[in-house]
Amino acid sequence: MDRSNPSHPFCYIVLAVLVCFSIWPMRASGNETLDNKPAANANTPRVVSFANDVVPILTKAGCNAGTCHAKAGNGQNGFALSLLGFEPKEDYTHIALEGRGRRVFAASPDHSLLLMKATNRVPHRGGTKLAPDSESYRLIADWISQGLKYDGETAPKLVSLEVQPQRGVLPRNSQQQLKTIATYSDQQTRDVSEFALYESNDTSMATVDAHGLVKTLDIPGKVSIMVRFQGQVVVFDAAVPQGSPVDQLPPSKNFIDDAVFANLKELGIPPSAICDDSTFIRRVSLDIAGRLPTQEEVALFMQDTSPTRREQVVDRLLMTSEYADFFANKWTAMLKNRRDDASDIISNFAFYSWVRDNLLSNKPYDEMVRELLAATGTVIANPPVAWYKRVKDPKQQLEDVAQLFLGVRMQCAQCHHHPFERWSQDDYYSMAAFFSQVGRKPTATRGEDMIFHKRGLAGYANAKTGIVQRPTPLGSPTVAISPDEDPRLRLADWMSSPENPFFARSLVNRYWKHFFKRGLIEPEDDIRDSNPPSNPQLLAALEKHFIDSDFNLKELVRVITTSQTYQLSAIPNEYNANDMQNYSHYYPRRLQAEVLLDSVDDLLGLRTEFPNLPSGTRAIALPDNSYNNASPFLRVFGRPENESVCECERIQSSSLAQSLHLMNSGDVKGKLGNGANRVNQWLQSGKAPNEIIVELYHIAFAREPNEQELATALAYVNEPKLDAEGKPIDPPRILRENFQDVVWALVNSKEFLFNH
Amino acid sequence: MLNLSRNTILWRHGLILALLLYCHGTSYAQSVCLPLPRLLTITPMGGTVGTTIDVTVSGENQDDVTELLFDHPGIKAVPKLNDQGVKIANAFQITIAADVPPGLYETRTWSRLGISTSRIFSVGNIPEVSRTQANTSRENAMALTVPTICNAVLTNKAIDHYSFQAVAGKRYNIYCAARGIDSKMEPVLTICDSQGRDLVVERKGVPLDFVPKQDGLHYIKLHDLTYKGGSEYFYRLTLQELAVDAPQPTFFATQPIRSFSWPPAGLSESAVTIEDEGAEVQVMSLPIDVAGRFYPAADVDTFEFAAQQGETWWIEVASDRFGLNTDPALLIQLAKGDGEQRQWLDVLELSDIASPVKVSSNGYAYDGPPFDGGSTDILGKFEVKETGTYRISLNDLFGGTRKDPQNKYRLIIRKAQPDFAVAAWGLHAELRNGDRNALSKPAALRVGNTVAFEVVTVRRDGFDGEIELTLTGLPPGVTATGLKIPAGKMRSVVLLTAAENAPAGWANVEFTAKSKVGETEVVRPVHIGQMAWPIVDSWSEIPNPRLVRGFPVSVTTSESAPLTLSAREARVWEVKQGEKLQLPLQLKTRAEFSGSVVSLKTWGSGFEAHPAFNINLTEQFPETTIDTNALKVPAGDYTIAFYGVAVPKYRYHPDSIAPAQEVVKQAEIAANVAAEELKKQQDALASVAAENKAALEQQIAELTTKKQAADVALQNANNQLKSVTDRAAPRDTAEIVISEPITIRVLP
Repeated sequence: MDRSNPSHPFCYIVLAVLVCFSIWPMRASGNETLDNKPAANANTPRVVSFANDVVPILTKAGCNAGTCHAKAGNGQNGFALSLLGFEPKEDYTHIALEGRGRRVFAASPDHSLLLMKATNRVPHRGGTKLAPDSESYRLIADWISQGLKYDGETAPKLVSLEVQPQRGVLPRNSQQQLKTIATYSDQQTRDVSEFALYESNDTSMATVDAHGLVKTLDIPGKVSIMVRFQGQVVVFDAAVPQGSPVDQLPPSKNFIDDAVFANLKELGIPPSAICDDSTFIRRVSLDIAGRLPTQEEVALFMQDTSPTRREQVVDRLLMTSEYADFFANKWTAMLKNRRDDASDIISNFAFYSWVRDNLLSNKPYDEMVRELLAATGTVIANPPVAWYKRVKDPKQQLEDVAQLFLGVRMQCAQCHHHPFERWSQDDYYSMAAFFSQVGRKPTATRGEDMIFHKRGLAGYANAKTGIVQRPTPLGSPTVAISPDEDPRLRLADWMSSPENPFFARSLVNRYWKHFFKRGLIEPEDDIRDSNPPSNPQLLAALEKHFIDSDFNLKELVRVITTSQTYQLSAIPNEYNANDMQNYSHYYPRRLQAEVLLDSVDDLLGLRTEFPNLPSGTRAIALPDNSYNNASPFLRVFGRPENESVCECERIQSSSLAQSLHLMNSGDVKGKLGNGANRVNQWLQSGKAPNEIIVELYHIAFAREPNEQELATALAYVNEPKLDAEGKPIDPPRILRENFQDVVWALVNSKEFLFNH
Repeated sequence: MLNLSRNTILWRHGLILALLLYCHGTSYAQSVCLPLPRLLTITPMGGTVGTTIDVTVSGENQDDVTELLFDHPGIKAVPKLNDQGVKIANAFQITIAADVPPGLYETRTWSRLGISTSRIFSVGNIPEVSRTQANTSRENAMALTVPTICNAVLTNKAIDHYSFQAVAGKRYNIYCAARGIDSKMEPVLTICDSQGRDLVVERKGVPLDFVPKQDGLHYIKLHDLTYKGGSEYFYRLTLQELAVDAPQPTFFATQPIRSFSWPPAGLSESAVTIEDEGAEVQVMSLPIDVAGRFYPAADVDTFEFAAQQGETWWIEVASDRFGLNTDPALLIQLAKGDGEQRQWLDVLELSDIASPVKVSSNGYAYDGPPFDGGSTDILGKFEVKETGTYRISLNDLFGGTRKDPQNKYRLIIRKAQPDFAVAAWGLHAELRNGDRNALSKPAALRVGNTVAFEVVTVRRDGFDGEIELTLTGLPPGVTATGLKIPAGKMRSVVLLTAAENAPAGWANVEFTAKSKVGETEVVRPVHIGQMAWPIVDSWSEIPNPRLVRGFPVSVTTSESAPLTLSAREARVWEVKQGEKLQLPLQLKTRAEFSGSVVSLKTWGSGFEAHPAFNINLTEQFPETTIDTNALKVPAGDYTIAFYGVAVPKYRYHPDSIAPAQEVVKQAEIAANVAAEELKKQQDALASVAAENKAALEQQIAELTTKKQAADVALQNANNQLKSVTDRAAPRDTAEIVISEPITIRVLP
């Protein structure tokens, strides 16, 4: 799914959970003008505000959700509302003035189409949204009867929102009622608990109902409830402790362990034990270099008795070319290094190589991003220019940069105020302004431009207001940039500033997820106030460490992988099996497509051939997506097509197709039966079956087979077989065929398919 | 609902398929441009001064290469002979005199169709080796001594490996010459440690200084950016040790087309001033000649000076034309106010020298030459409207993040020194629908042929005069026409015509441009542009044009032009201004053509609006009527020519069939003789006396070997005959056809 595509209704998908209603056209009776309505006297109910009462009710009821009357186009059945009520004036027009006045009937509010539909008295596709005896119903009816006043400009503005309590420790299977208080510009406060919207960030841990009643479930951890009202968002953070005894923590190796273990202690979740050496070297090799450890590496590690032997393994892996290959593969997918045309090959290879070389030489991350953001020249002379070949529109550029490097999703704000965030359309176009002076000159290569800074005052017009927005970093004041300066350099300055609240945080969260399966913030590229980290102290410490190290990526990998937290066993203890958020044990992951293909090849001593690349090229070193076409394996296991800036484009979930592919595909069977594979070579050279089995275990799992495994495998490979005619097969062929089965079994084992 | 039977559907699908195949066939059966001789490779690609080396050459449309020619008299080649004293095809022995300066030299061949395009031959002063065995893995890496230059050709989809013993702390300078010596390779050079781990990677085609941290074996890996290989992907790998503080050695490279407009005539090599990199502003007085660098990243160099109202200054910046990937931009501002109140008012922005002609946009079909004479450098005028203090801000639009100290520039602000620079290249045109060829075109003429060269100029400092073009030293029977770029124009076409009776031969032609600047006559060289490689489709491969030294023009009598179009009489055709000229033409065809009509347009200043007209290829005496009234041509003498596209059914070297048949005949005879001799002895074996049997068997074995060799020779001869016969089969070949120049006098 391309979440970066502005035409994709991702913003609306989030809102799709809200149900809505539609109003059928109906001629209203009466022809009183609004101004003719009598003013409310002392006995009438309080004056109902359209902006502060009616609109929030519509929002709470879901009427102005993206899938209902705020649907792009013309709403639902001709009745349109602004998304989540961000444009009260427009809503007023739609409700009170359009539809020839049929939607509201001031003489008899109960007969207003608006209320008849909402209560389903007139058939409403959205069903019943308001109960006739509810306060919400009464308020709307009062507003109608009070003369349909519009007070968008005059009504007090919502200044702040508060949820009470803001945080709490809730036992499992307990309840907590939230109270939501709105403070307005006239200093008045109001309990809006009934009108606010509530949403849990993890419904497996806690649910919340429409009235703000939180119910925790059986899973311990950190959970947040997002509370929204009139465009503002606050969060209730809850710790749900398990309360188990945590008296045996591994000794802390660094600040990561301090923060993780403190959190586990608070929650009462005891961590698993430290993993064994075989597991460690396999795990860390797969995570850093995207490959199985070699037999030499395993042997060197096992013979080493130094107390820092695990740290040395990490250092050695960080020096390998595969580290650069593997992480370049990760980055270039998100940077959309995509082959749409045969002529893209040069720019794609150049761009991939640029990323890869920078990772190899460990160029500071901020410098790398700066060179990408403010790239100029030709692709050959300056390969990051290739990014501008893929991403041509300033709006797309800002969205990609924000999501990839800041972890902020700005797409929604192009058309309306971000529903869960503080970002407005002005914020959106102010960010786009940084890319407004990107100039292009044609080159001899079709579809490829030279990129340069076009002198001039940077600015981008807000599509809605037409007002030109000047470059303004998110949450910061507008930057004065002279026409001579490339605004992208100023954006890069802001991003790499130690005070930047997004840049380092986004990266460390992304890398944390790489090694732990789950980001401290999930999804990893959706950092916002309403989506708090599961361990804020840890995230802050990682961020600080990364900035203090001058954005040193290898150091970040080093500090993560040398922590005890990373080295915890994947096997849960009796208390922490339910924990999927606090890193009390290692969360196993299926190997990603390229790594799995390379691992199968490594096990068999083969290499998959790829078009235009030298023999021996690993799948993790493929420069772009074009190789997916020729490799069903890569496609089935979810290698991305490099269309999205989101890592979610890579499919990491398991599927039946994957199982079938491993079991039956010609691809895998061909490798197993290949006469050049190492097993067949060993058999031809007369190597003893037990030695072969041991070596296979070394390669696949970095460990010896245990006695039972060895015995079972040995018994199997020597098992006699009959051919189709029932005649005995000769022993060499039996051995060959049976060994194919053994390797097949190893490849299909979870121990092989997963990093654990 | 439409109800189609299965047969109908199949029939329709079949029809569509047939149509597609037909269209495909007709689109691609047609070639473009008659064959021209092109030297593509010379292996090895260079040698050491004072040595003699053996080389082999390969190319296109080169039959019977008899000479290998260099543009330095100190480099001489003689054909290589085998042990029997017979010339080995395409093999030469080259002697490089000891006084030949290290550098790049143009190499061309002389063969049946004339003088070829050029290929670079490098001369250096470091010992050279050639890679002779596969080295595509670390295990079979080729060991290099220091210093060495290794000549090699990349293997497709592979990485070449070299090894050398390195000493920690020493400086090793490693450079892979490729693009700069005409190779198609985009080199990627990686240094690895003894375990094969990548230590440092260089991908920009610049020298790499490597200082090892440890003693021991190190590896150099080399490959093309996209892992391409083959004979076109050659390189010269230089490995040398340098003192830590030694300057970077010079590595020569060919010059891009845009370089032809630099330097201005008479400019000294050294600038008057060197940029003060520490200064925020450099205060100078006009005129200015500064050498500086776009360094560090986002560098903006500022120069302040005073200028008087009414002055006119010309500003020129060179950097891109040095062959660097830079894009200088310059802003002039006027100071308003003083001290802290001072503000700078924008006066003038300058960037880019426009190409003299519209360059190919690389669209669907030809829309301009694939040669770009423009540059991202600067050449412009500054008219001072107000006396005051001005400042220039000079920066590199490509330099925001790039930190390359080699990104140099030269900034010159001068009083007008009107001048011009001229370049020429073989004319391109769209020869069929969707044609995107960018072929390299030597001045190799067939007898009876007229070929065109496009000539462009970059005018400097307001120079607007007519430029006269002169070709001296043309080979006998060759004439040149259209020899001027009109005043104020940027382009012209020069026609070279080989008479029908011109003898075969070639000559180094001096191509110059002459004009009067004020009262002074100035002469400038015409630089020649050429594609480094013939590109059939510029969508599949980006053309790589460069400047070449020398302009040899040749004539071949081996082939004639497919047609010659000329005025019926060789005279000046006179017409009164405002009247019509009935111009009788004469067409001589020497080939069959696909299609019977050719549409012709007109070249020649003032006559280019003459409407396109058709001539019938079967008509010997066509004519066209030129309406001087419609054209509004003033009185004077004019030279015009007609041009269009014809599609002759071209046969490549049909004369080669008879000799090939003769070879086959001789080979058959030899094979038959060998077979008969063998049979005879085999028959004799049955009756031979026992004591002679061994000797006879020995003789039979020898005869068997002889017969096998004769059979192989016959097979080869047959293959060669098939090859030359296939090549000689008629093939539709679209070609630019140009009339001989025609002189018209418009009388008042």
